[in-house]
Amino acid sequence: MLTAHPGLPEFDYIKPTTLPEASQFLAEHAGEARPFLGGTDTFVRLRDGAWKDKYLVDVKHLDGMQTLAFDPAAGLTVGAAVNMNRVIAAPEVQAHYPLLAEAAHTVASYQLRTRATLVGNACNASPAGDTVGAGLVLNAELLIFGVDGGRRAPLATFFRGPGKTTLRPGDIVTAIHYPLPPAGHAGRYLKLGRNALGDLAIVGVTALGYRDPAAPSGYRFRLALASVAPMPLRPVQAEALLSDQPLSEAGLQAAAEAAAAAATPIDDVRGGAEYRRLMVRNLTRQALRDVWQRLG
Amino acid sequence: MAMHRITFTLNGARERVEVPSNQTLLQLLRERLALTGTKNGCTAGECGACTVLWNGEPVNSCLVLAVECDGTEVVTVEGLAHDRQLDPVQTALLEAGGVQCGFCTPGVLLSARALLDRNPRPSDYEIRDALTGNLCRCTGYLRIIEAVKAAARAAEPA
Amino acid sequence: MLKTKPAADGHTPVGDSVPRLDAHDKVTGAAQFADDIQFGPGLLQARILRSPHAHALIKRLDVSRALALPGVKAIVTGEQTPGYIGLYLQDRHIFCRDRVRYIGDPVAGVAAVDEATAEQAVDLIEVEYEPLPAVFDPVEGTRPDAPLLHPDLGQYEAVNFIFPKPGSNISNHFKIRRGDVAGAWAQCAAVVEREYRVPHIQHVPIEPHVAVAKWDDKDKITLWASSQSPFAQRNLIAKALHLSQSQIQVIAPYVGGGFGAKAGVSMEALAVVIAGAVKGRPVKLRLTREEEFFTTFVRQGLVARFKVGCDQDGRLQALENTYYWDAGAYTEYGVNMTRAGGYSGTGPYDVPNVKVDSICVYTNHPVGGPMRGFGMPELHSGLEQAMDDLAHAVGVDPVEFRRRNCIRGGDIVATGMTMHPTGLPECIEKAAAAINWGHKSSPSAPNKRRGKGMAIMWKAPAMPPNAGSSARVQLNEDGTVMVSLGGQEIGQGTFTVMAQMAAAALGVPYDWVKVAGPIDTDSSPYEWQTVASRLTWSMGNAVSAAARDARRQILEMVAKAWKESPDDLDIVDGQVISYKSEEACSLKDLVIYGLPNPDGDGWIGGPVLGRGSFMPTYVTGLDPETGQGPRAVVHYTTGAQAVEIEVDLDTGKVEVLRAVAAFDVGKAINPDMVRAQMEGGLVQGISTAFFESLQLKNGRVLNPSFVDYRIATAADAPPQLEAIIVEVPQDDGPWGARGIGEHSMVPTIPAIANALYDAVGIRLEAPPFTAEKVYLAMRAAGVVQ
Ligand SMILES: Cc1cc2nc3c(=O)[nH]c(=O)nc-3n(C[C@H](O)[C@H](O)[C@H](O)COP(=O)(O)OP(=O)(O)OC[C@H]3O[C@@H](n4cnc5c(N)ncnc54)[C@H](O)[C@@H]3O)c2cc1C
Ligand code: FES
Ligand code: FES
Repeated sequence: MLTAHPGLPEFDYIKPTTLPEASQFLAEHAGEARPFLGGTDTFVRLRDGAWKDKYLVDVKHLDGMQTLAFDPAAGLTVGAAVNMNRVIAAPEVQAHYPLLAEAAHTVASYQLRTRATLVGNACNASPAGDTVGAGLVLNAELLIFGVDGGRRAPLATFFRGPGKTTLRPGDIVTAIHYPLPPAGHAGRYLKLGRNALGDLAIVGVTALGYRDPAAPSGYRFRLALASVAPMPLRPVQAEALLSDQPLSEAGLQAAAEAAAAAATPIDDVRGGAEYRRLMVRNLTRQALRDVWQRLG
Repeated sequence: MAMHRITFTLNGARERVEVPSNQTLLQLLRERLALTGTKNGCTAGECGACTVLWNGEPVNSCLVLAVECDGTEVVTVEGLAHDRQLDPVQTALLEAGGVQCGFCTPGVLLSARALLDRNPRPSDYEIRDALTGNLCRCTGYLRIIEAVKAAARAAEPA
Repeated sequence: MLKTKPAADGHTPVGDSVPRLDAHDKVTGAAQFADDIQFGPGLLQARILRSPHAHALIKRLDVSRALALPGVKAIVTGEQTPGYIGLYLQDRHIFCRDRVRYIGDPVAGVAAVDEATAEQAVDLIEVEYEPLPAVFDPVEGTRPDAPLLHPDLGQYEAVNFIFPKPGSNISNHFKIRRGDVAGAWAQCAAVVEREYRVPHIQHVPIEPHVAVAKWDDKDKITLWASSQSPFAQRNLIAKALHLSQSQIQVIAPYVGGGFGAKAGVSMEALAVVIAGAVKGRPVKLRLTREEEFFTTFVRQGLVARFKVGCDQDGRLQALENTYYWDAGAYTEYGVNMTRAGGYSGTGPYDVPNVKVDSICVYTNHPVGGPMRGFGMPELHSGLEQAMDDLAHAVGVDPVEFRRRNCIRGGDIVATGMTMHPTGLPECIEKAAAAINWGHKSSPSAPNKRRGKGMAIMWKAPAMPPNAGSSARVQLNEDGTVMVSLGGQEIGQGTFTVMAQMAAAALGVPYDWVKVAGPIDTDSSPYEWQTVASRLTWSMGNAVSAAARDARRQILEMVAKAWKESPDDLDIVDGQVISYKSEEACSLKDLVIYGLPNPDGDGWIGGPVLGRGSFMPTYVTGLDPETGQGPRAVVHYTTGAQAVEIEVDLDTGKVEVLRAVAAFDVGKAINPDMVRAQMEGGLVQGISTAFFESLQLKNGRVLNPSFVDYRIATAADAPPQLEAIIVEVPQDDGPWGARGIGEHSMVPTIPAIANALYDAVGIRLEAPPFTAEKVYLAMRAAGVVQ
């Protein structure tokens, strides 16, 4: 087949009523069943012929999947099935996690975000996932229900490669949890696409900063890079530079260079490796400036 | 392949149909119910020609399974006008000259309707943002954007 | 500016921005497109097996396993299609026979009960190929040792203005030789020599191609298609299948965007041939978006070499341009684009010494076909940059340079034809004024740079010399009017403009007029094709002739009844009135049943039916060696665009802040719709300038989807866009009108390129001017780190 199918290939739609039932079904049909939420990655891959699952398991209606809850002590928990538009519009997110809203807002289009989810974005494990960076710098955790019961998995160690995660057959992510961000933090997501809006990222840079008297510079920064490595990337050396030396324009530049050095981009139809590396540098610099300025 | 019996509200009327697992909402509308105002431009969530309102929110109907619509409400372009009275976004688009070939038009209208429902006075940027998922190859978008502004103005109390 | 005005009582609707005829049905979802037509459960679905090789021989083809699949109704291959098909050069089999020439070339077609079954069957067809060396570059394709794509080129049938070179990959070579180019360089104070490339792009109508075909048992064929060219499709398919034209009926409802992709014949013939194998059943072939990108027409690539020179005063002295068109696997339509690129190859300039070579080269790339602008956006792309460079080289302001050198009425153009009156100078002035030329505004941020650029253009309708139009105007019992025509509503608004012309010529209000659709070759009057921006002019002439014919019949009838002279009568606002007797009578009382005979018993008149046709008769052939002849084309539409851009030094992203378009349309029948064409075309031009290219690697399109092939979205349209109408009438145009559909995207790429040069001093070899290319070029030039 030279091109995608005109329609979706055959599969059976399964709608379990409980998490254990869903998990068991997925475990029993490992390799031929897949959970889905918005389906925006799943249907596209099925139509392309890249995935050939026999069963699609709709997990949107299971316990807690539709909940968006903010606890001033613990943070934000977004049920796996909460779509991105709901996340963006939620007052709790706007108030406490503007970075998350900013990042989610760059995903595709409004109508696609009626379907697309944060958890789907993470589970898809694409290096271009726009909301993953925010999750990384916010130290997000995934809540997972598996055949052996529930567990929590930090997003930081969730990815294994492009499209690969630590999920095992029968695992269902039920929510993503964002701990309370550091007080007085500022964040920025800069996404460079071909179009002004709506494209996948050629490069995406997430930055989060906050004041920390314990740090030599008085600040700490967390950075995450999209579309420039096989997996979403934290350029830790760049982060270290920012906390270890007094902040200055030259310091930001050095951190930006370090971020660029950490990137291992490739050439693809969206952009070349050289340009990507340069853009990591420039966008990191820009994101850091914006954050620093807001921290005052 | 499994078949599913579903009941949903389509443009205000109840529909009961049996659908196969892999049928999309777009296919159900166009091929099964012969409601062809909703268009297919890519089958991949990219062009927005298939946009419908699903429980009041715009969605790419090519990326929704028909079976997922059980118990939900769907509005297509055919359901925008009421009692032969065009929706203000329809009137505005028509008057602004924002229609050329018309293939993107149904999707554009539903995105615009939903935008005005959630944000009655959108800025130029908010309009463009809300329409990024509706590709139009003919108009250059400016008249569509003007139309949404006009529809917003028309809804303001005088 | 966007408001539409209703036609004021009593005055002609021509020149009024009346609302579109089709808009209501399009906003309610009622408008029918080809894929919307319901055929019931008997409908079969077709899918196509396509070549995975860019160039190969078919050694073995076995469909037996596929045929055995339950649900498969028929499979056709090249065996069923011995004939050739093509518009200007018949170089193509409907299904490949012994050889495939591009990735995507149709090898077999399956009809089955549904698409999934048809797909499965496609996978079961066994084909053995013997790969051949391929041609992926047009310049290399002209070398004597290049692999030959069409060994039978010498046997192909071609129209008499196309000159294939058998034994080579050159299917047309158009030449202009005028004056003494070699001698002129010495007279030049400045000479610029450059090579520019233009990548392949795709039209990207939002409606993909779809065709449904059905044969009855007497070999009468019905084809429903999304089509710009119902009549050409009838004609070409009939010829290829050795049928008579009257055996084929093409029905074409509204087209969801064409831009040339749905002109001529591309995938429609596949559906027809497949349906021939399952007589009595309708068969639908609907392309996926992915197929859309490389299996129908694409816009061909171009390698262009420019050499232009001027004297001290910036007056053009000589031009020597060579265009190598990367025309793809079949050039049946493309050959004429290269001809148009040849005869218009100087651009809209008055140059005394000219040498142009426009060479159509077969490559193992997707099939080049007509696209909005028909070769002009491609060649102006580099030409207008070279002219800018030349202006700078001789120290003349680029707008002043264009002022001095642009073509004017009465000039002799490079083919020897005398230029008709044209508003190009006025377009230049207006565009320059609107963009505030010569004034540099300051950037919005320290890391940004601003620049302005202008480009001008010309384009003639490219078509056979005798492409014709015809129309019928028919009156109903209530006095309303039905216009029948064969030109297609593809979004440009032709039905509306035709209704305006019919209303004005007849003397009825605009909203009394309807246009009969869908276009149906069995009942619609003949129209060559909906291409070349020719309908307003050509079909407009036919429609107004038909309306005048109806008017004459009415006036003659009433004159007899009233015993007056037709010269004293008029039709105003749907009433026949006499200026002499001051009598009046509504049309509805006379256009069907006539009028009582004033001299006693009986009646006079009868149902009124006007007919009109138009065909240009004056276009001449051109000398094959020099390109000289009295009249190469019917006319040229000219215009100018200017843009102001801002470049982001951190990313290389370019934003168009303001854009201006000024075109001479002769007469704007519907000014608002003319502006809408200028706007839409400009944004399409911006889209091609920044985003679009088919990324080809060894003949494979790497980005055949909207994810990877981006087009402009609502967020990319410029914040400000001004469309300016210039009206220097066309002597043989209805009310003086000329076309505007295609022209509006012709100068956009070079206008942006020139602005980019103005802003940051870089020139890129080829569009699209992606942020990446701009950034890396700025870096190489030392503008950024
Ligand atoms: C047109 C288009 C444009 C896009 N643009 C962007 C963009 O700009 N930026 C971006 O980041 N992404 C983009 N995407 C990708 C996609 O929309 C996002 O990745 C989205 O967040 C996926 O969410 P979903 O709910 O639709 O995922 P789904 O398709 O439902 O699932 C994605 C993956 O996660 C797995 N999965 C789903 N739910 C669970 C679960 N509960 N437990 C375990 N595994 C699970 C699925 O099996 C699948 O492998 C685009 C997609 C399309 C079609
Ligand atoms: S058809 Fe659904 S987005 Fe294009
Ligand atoms: S009007 Fe043709 S695609 Fe929008």
